This record gives sequence, C-alpha cells and structure tokens, in this order.
Amino acid sequence: MMKNSNWARYILLLVLIMIFLFPLYWMIITALKQPSEVFSIIPKWLPEHWTFQNFKDVFQIVPFGRYYFNTIILVFGLLIVQLVTVTLAAYAFARMDFKFKDILFMILLVQLMIAPQTLVVPNYLTVSSLGLLDTKIAIGLPYVASAIGVFLLRQAFSAIPKELEDAAVIDGCSTMGFLLKIAIPLIKPSYLAFILISMTYHWNEFFWPLIVTDTVRARTLTVGLAMLAESSESSAAWTTLMAATLMVVLPIVIFFMIFQKSFIKSFMTSGLKG
Amino acid sequence: MHIKIKQKSLPWFFILPTFFFLGMFTYYPALKSLYLSFNSMNVVNPTPIFTGLDNYISIFKTPLFWQVLKNNLFYAGITMPLTLGLALILALLLNRKIFGDAIYKASVYYPNIIPMAAASMVWLYIFLPGYGILNYLFSKLGIPNIEWVTNHKTAIWALIIVAIWKNAGYYMIIFLSGLQQLPLDVYEAAEIDGASKWKQFWSITWPLLSPTTFFVFIIAVINSFQSIDQIYLMTRGGPSNATNMFVYYIYQVAFRFWDFGKASALTVILLLLLLLFTLFAFTFIERQVFYQVGGGSSKK
Repeated sequence: MMKNSNWARYILLLVLIMIFLFPLYWMIITALKQPSEVFSIIPKWLPEHWTFQNFKDVFQIVPFGRYYFNTIILVFGLLIVQLVTVTLAAYAFARMDFKFKDILFMILLVQLMIAPQTLVVPNYLTVSSLGLLDTKIAIGLPYVASAIGVFLLRQAFSAIPKELEDAAVIDGCSTMGFLLKIAIPLIKPSYLAFILISMTYHWNEFFWPLIVTDTVRARTLTVGLAMLAESSESSAAWTTLMAATLMVVLPIVIFFMIFQKSFIKSFMTSGLKG
Repeated sequence: MHIKIKQKSLPWFFILPTFFFLGMFTYYPALKSLYLSFNSMNVVNPTPIFTGLDNYISIFKTPLFWQVLKNNLFYAGITMPLTLGLALILALLLNRKIFGDAIYKASVYYPNIIPMAAASMVWLYIFLPGYGILNYLFSKLGIPNIEWVTNHKTAIWALIIVAIWKNAGYYMIIFLSGLQQLPLDVYEAAEIDGASKWKQFWSITWPLLSPTTFFVFIIAVINSFQSIDQIYLMTRGGPSNATNMFVYYIYQVAFRFWDFGKASALTVILLLLLLLFTLFAFTFIERQVFYQVGGGSSKK
C-alpha cells in the first residue's frame, strides 16, 4: 500500500515535469528543424533533417547582433549604477540613524507594489521631455532606484555585528572605509542575489523598452524578438522564430544552471521583482 | 564640529540618489497621473486643459472599461487558485528526499526566469490552430480543433495556461520553504493518533501554511493586475477585447488613441485598486503575524 502511493507520487511528479519541460523541448527541436517540417500534420518529435540554418537566418532578418549588444550594455550598465545607489541606501537604512528613517523606508517599499508598466504613461512623458526617447538610458533610468535591492542588502548589512564596526573605528577606519573594505565583502551572497535578480529582470523586460524605443539603436533582445515575430508574415518562419527565441532564452537558462541555488534563494525573497 | 555635521548629513547623502530616482519615476509619475487625469490632453489638445472629472465620467460610461475590469478579475480569479493549487501540489510532492529533486525543481522553476516575451512565442506556436502540437494532442483525445488565441472564448484561457506554467514554479519554491518550517513533532503526534495523510494535510499543513499562502496570494493578485507582455504578444487584447486587461487598455488609450488624459485617469484607477488591495492585505497580514507570535509556534 505504502509502496503503491509512492509510485503514484513519482508518476504524477514525472508527468507534471514533462508538461513543464515540454515548451523548452519544443522550442529547441523546432529551432533545429527545416521550415517545411513544421507543416506536417503529424508533428515530428525530432527534426528529420537537423539544421542550424535557422539561427543564421535570424541574423539575416533582424539585426540580432545589435540587439544582443544593446541588451548586454543595458544589463551591465544599469547593474553598475544600481550597485552604487543600492549599496549606499541600504547601508544608511541598516547602520545609520537619521530622522524619518522608518517612514522613508516604507515610502521606498511602495515601489515593490507598483510595476513599472503601470506608470508607463507619465514615465513616457518624463523620458520624452528629457529628450531621451530611443536611448538605452531611457530604458534603465526608472530602475536606478531599486527597492528590492535596498531591501535585500539592508537585511544583510544589519546582521553585521556592531562590535566589528567599533573595532574598525578604533583602528582608524572611516565609515566609507568600513563599508568598502569590511561590510561589502561580508555580505557577498546578498550581492549575488541582487545581481541575479537585476540581470534577469532587465534581460527579460519587454514592455517598457518597447514603448521607449523606436529603432535598432536601443532595442533590446525581447523587443527584437517581437519585431521578428511581426516581420515573419508566413507561418513558415516558425523555425526561425523558435531559433531566435532560443537565443534569447539560452543565456538566461545557462546562467540559471550555474547559479541555480542562489537563484532560487534570491527570487524567493523578491516576489515582486524590479 | 565640522566632522560632526558631516557625520549627521552622511546618511542623507547615502539615500539621496535612491530617493531622487524613486521620486522621479515612482512618486512624481503617480502625482502627474493624478494631475493629468483631471485634464484633457490628447491629439487635439497636446497641452493639458483642466476638465475636472470628465475623464473619469467618460471612463465609467465606457462599456469597454467594465469589460477590462471583468476580464482582469476573471483572469486573476482563475489563474490564482489554479497556479497556487498546482504549486502546492508540486511542493508537497517534492517536500521529501527523492532522487534527483534538484533537477525536478529546476524543471518546474525555469519558466519563471525566462522572458515572458520568449514564453509567449513558444506558446503561440504550441497553441497554433491547424498544425499546432496542442491541438494535435487534443485530437488524439477526440477534442476538436481549438482556435486558442483567435477565439474570444478560449483566448483568455490560453493566457491563463501560460501564466500558470510561468509562475507555478516560483510559488512552489515559496511553499517549499514554508513547508520546511513546519514543526515535525506535530506530524509525529498525529501519526501516533492514527490521523490519515489526508487528515494531516487539512488539519496541520494547510492551517500552518496559511501565512505563506496568504503572502503568495497577495503577490499573485498584484502581479496579475499588472500583466502586459503576454497580452501584447499573444492576443493584443483581442479578439474583440476578450483579453483586454488594465495595463494593455492604458497602453491602447495612450499610445494608439493618444489620449493621455484618459490614460492617466485609468492609471490612477489602477493605482488606487492596487493601493486599496495592499492596505487590505497589510491589515490582514498584521493580524496573521500577531496570531503567529501569540500562538508561539515555530521560530522562523
């Protein structure tokens, strides 16, 4: 009886996992098929003629290399700026005393509730009035302040014992010195968590970049993918589209496999990303 | 003296960049939406003209607004219990040492970290009428061809399926961490008393898990009211507005019809809905936390 229910569990789990994995499998397999194989009435579970031509075609149809470049610049550029703003604010909230500290922290946390797409209209007007439309800066600007980043790092900074700071101060360490040389290295795991959240979010983001970009100058990969989908009039282009989709997904999946444990931990605390 | 002043103002310098950008891209836009919502600002009048409550009155008189609200409530109301239910089942299945559990978790979790734009493309292909794989599999079960995203009855279900697939893994992880904090001795006691697994779930696991469930429920509601990528990419709010939801509606009014006044009023309505919901949730959570501390259950 016990054995039977264990088997049932296992089978249920395997079925569910196959369903979850199927879209990824189908994406990969279709990307490796020849365009005509898509039309077969009975779907082919494996390509009849394996080909990498679809990947080459993507670069012919849309400037995918440029989209990669834009996305990478955006993701890393924004990350560097965020690391500065987030570190400073988190440190202040964790280890310094100032007026209205608690209220200000609440005011900051409100950002977690409001997804940027909700404020798309006024933010579009702001970015437009600054003359920044169609730039990578426009895509990144709304994210310079990151509530989730401050929240994560504040928790970690608070956990550093006061004695450590006192000892450093006696040794002649300034606030900045303590922050840079002692506090930051101590909370590396929290930094990793924030880096994973930020990079994934901005690699994946679609709607805001779509709204503020007009040309290949600043368009990111996800927007480029939508452009490709729109440009492919005939459905024969499914293989190309899946190849492009795979190229957007692959870096993030590899990234995920490398950092799986930290990923799961860090996203658990984030909930409302940003 | 000089150093003392510097020390006192240091925290303000530290939080300045964050609050400058928070103000510029969260609070200022919220207030700006409020201001513009009382103005007419569109293709005809590019500079705002005060019109009082006109935008709100016109919105409440538009049947489409009510349909959008209804769609959003339906979408959230169906997606949430199904996603949370599936996530809980997965968490219960994986909440014990089994061979290869890290791989299982990753397989369920990966949809959460890939771009919604990419997910939408794959699912569009899976949903394809004619030679799509889903319809092929359904035909084996004797279910006739479904025009998933182009039929006004099924389009919203297509979005729901994608949302469940995308988010279940994330909620599963939260449930797993909730389950791992449950006190084992209670189960041992129940086992001795001869309570069945089913009974144990409903009288121990489910009530003790309720703070987790509630937390997850709040996130799910807030996120589902702000969904946009999959709507834009899979259905464009169609067919005939069957999948038109809040953010997409705002997008349409602002960037298709260039009516920024009305779009601002819609933004304010959405912000108010989110605010009310959050306030409601917070008061509820406070009670939950209180209950937990009072009950003196497991330490975090």
